[in-house]
Amino acid sequence: MAEVNQQGCLFVGEGVVLVGNFEVPDIASISGTVEGELTAKQVLIEATGIVRGKLTGESIDIRGEVNEHVSSTRSLIIRSTGKVTGSIHYSEIEIEKGGHLHGDLHNLDPHS
Amino acid sequence: MSIFSKNQPSAENEPSASNSEEAVQEFVAPNQEEPPSASPPEQFTKAESTPRSNVLSKPSIISEGFVFEGTITSDGVLNIAGTVLGKITAKSVLIDSGGQVDGELNSEQLVIKGRLQGSVNCEDLNVGPLAQVDGDISYKYIHIQRGGKVSGKFIKN
Repeated sequence: MAEVNQQGCLFVGEGVVLVGNFEVPDIASISGTVEGELTAKQVLIEATGIVRGKLTGESIDIRGEVNEHVSSTRSLIIRSTGKVTGSIHYSEIEIEKGGHLHGDLHNLDPHS
Repeated sequence: MSIFSKNQPSAENEPSASNSEEAVQEFVAPNQEEPPSASPPEQFTKAESTPRSNVLSKPSIISEGFVFEGTITSDGVLNIAGTVLGKITAKSVLIDSGGQVDGELNSEQLVIKGRLQGSVNCEDLNVGPLAQVDGDISYKYIHIQRGGKVSGKFIKN
């Protein structure tokens, strides 16, 4: 899906370390490390990926590690290898068995 | 006659045969679906592989419309379809889709399909798609199915 149209996408390969704030209009696929703020429409944190800082997006899929803050306006999936610590805001959440969750969970629209 | 048969059970064929027949009938009656020779070893392996209480003890059930206020302690399985206000300690707890728990909950296995409010301490947590959970939760293994609404502090042990 990502390879078809790479316009507006960010790919961070394994071993790459990015520091700063990033606005990604479409897909952000992280196999390396991002330190800072990352905003994307769709975020994929691969098993080797690490985000330290603030992660915001519509759909977020976490197989790696995210620290500090996660905010997802549509769907948040923490896979079995995923590890999330810090405050988490979501509208729809799914955690696979084995997923690691440590922190505060907040539902963005609790009465929907 | 009864004295006579008791004195010579081995010499006489008839009383021993009728005794064993009765015993067999009693044994067969409850599990007619399976041959009696196959079922006992199967039960033994089950009892060894899964926690004992799951196989041996019946679940305690708080049915729909039932409101319980107080402390529940159990070594076995607890199914809640009604409402519990208070403290629950059990090995395995199921909060059914209409069930509601308000208070403190300690268990090894916890399945939530209904509503839960309060502090939870468990090993294995499974939150169903229609569940609503609000509170401080410490767990070892967690599984939240899509749609489950959870909020609060989560701590992995």
